[in-house]
Amino acid sequence: MINEKDEKVDVSKRMLFKRAVAAVGVVATAGVAKTLTTAPTDSDKSKNRARYESEARQQERVMLQKRYVVMTDDEKKQMVNEILKNHYQELA
Amino acid sequence: MSDETKERETGDVDEARRDLLKHMGIASMAGAVALTAGSADAEAAVFQEWFQSHYELMSEEEKQECIERLETRYTEEYGKKTTVSNAPALKDVLFGYALDIQKCIGCRTCVHACVKENNQTRYDPEIQWIKVLKMEKGNFSFSEEKLDKGYPETDRLGNFGIQVGGNAYSPVGVSGETERYYEPEKVPEKDSFYFPVQCQQCEKPPCVKACPVRATFREPNGVVVIDYNWCIGCRMCQLACPYEARRFNWGEPNLPPEDMNPKTHYYGNRPRMMGVMEKCTFCLQRTREGRAPACLEACPVGARKFGNLLDPESDVRKILATKKVFRFKEDLNTYPKFFYFMG
Repeated sequence: MINEKDEKVDVSKRMLFKRAVAAVGVVATAGVAKTLTTAPTDSDKSKNRARYESEARQQERVMLQKRYVVMTDDEKKQMVNEILKNHYQELA
Repeated sequence: MSDETKERETGDVDEARRDLLKHMGIASMAGAVALTAGSADAEAAVFQEWFQSHYELMSEEEKQECIERLETRYTEEYGKKTTVSNAPALKDVLFGYALDIQKCIGCRTCVHACVKENNQTRYDPEIQWIKVLKMEKGNFSFSEEKLDKGYPETDRLGNFGIQVGGNAYSPVGVSGETERYYEPEKVPEKDSFYFPVQCQQCEKPPCVKACPVRATFREPNGVVVIDYNWCIGCRMCQLACPYEARRFNWGEPNLPPEDMNPKTHYYGNRPRMMGVMEKCTFCLQRTREGRAPACLEACPVGARKFGNLLDPESDVRKILATKKVFRFKEDLNTYPKFFYFMG
């Protein structure tokens, strides 16, 4: 025989279960939605390719009409000295 | 009075609704489990990676834990035993690179060797750290005449000239047309020369200055590296780099397991993720073991030389001492350690 108190407990347990199930449902639905929406589509892939290509084209513009200057012996020595000095200073 | 309150008081719950809810809950849970099944370890590893500290600031134990986590994840993801080295920079070494622009035939073998070695994404698009530019020879001259000219000459009033920096009156050349170089029928092409560009490992790297989170920094051996897990993907370094040497992972990398090189380094060729920057590291996973970079090994004409700038007997120092050398954008004072020379 079920008394009134037990019945109340059952009902509150049931409500708790209901809410837990609802919460899990919401989380799972959000997870599925996220998986579906973030999966890369073909247009995403082509966009990525286009972005990468556009970055590559910037380099071409930069390289246009660039002057290349041969270093003199003094400049080479000076450069090596500066690089080495910087290196040893950093170590010290 | 709401239905819920009424139900609570009376205990009279609609069985059909309860069953529906039950079934929906079970189905949702099953769905969630199915979505994560098989990759639980990998997901956990990714979760931990999101919250890890800057690698340089980690304790030795944390570093070890991080390395093991990465090895486990990569091994699971790519289905092959993957090692992630954390070998430190070699002592008494400062790496420099030299490229013989007269020898380069533009075959791009170096580009493909680099992609293969460094686990770059293979398609949509293939990310390449080395870019070979085909350039018109223009008035390029390899003559030694006037090589030491170009400085203001001393006159009777003394030398009050302004240092113009380099042989400005007689540059080695001014390039005409430049184009990205993809699928040539035959190399080398007439009236063209080839100009491979990659990270110049600057002594004063602008990219390092620009990084707001210090995810990229210069190691004692002169190589600029990136902590991929600390990178926030802001692309400031890419903007700052005058050599356009940095590449951004716009999408999720596409690296087929069969193409993956399982011998990796934390700062080097380990697989990257979407939204982080990457670039050439002079193949640090190889050079830290005393091996040469992959691009150098692959070059069929021996145009590439690599060595220790601290050693006067190294290839690079000998080239600097004896060959005609120029640097790329030397006027920006970045002190690149990548030199172009003419044999």
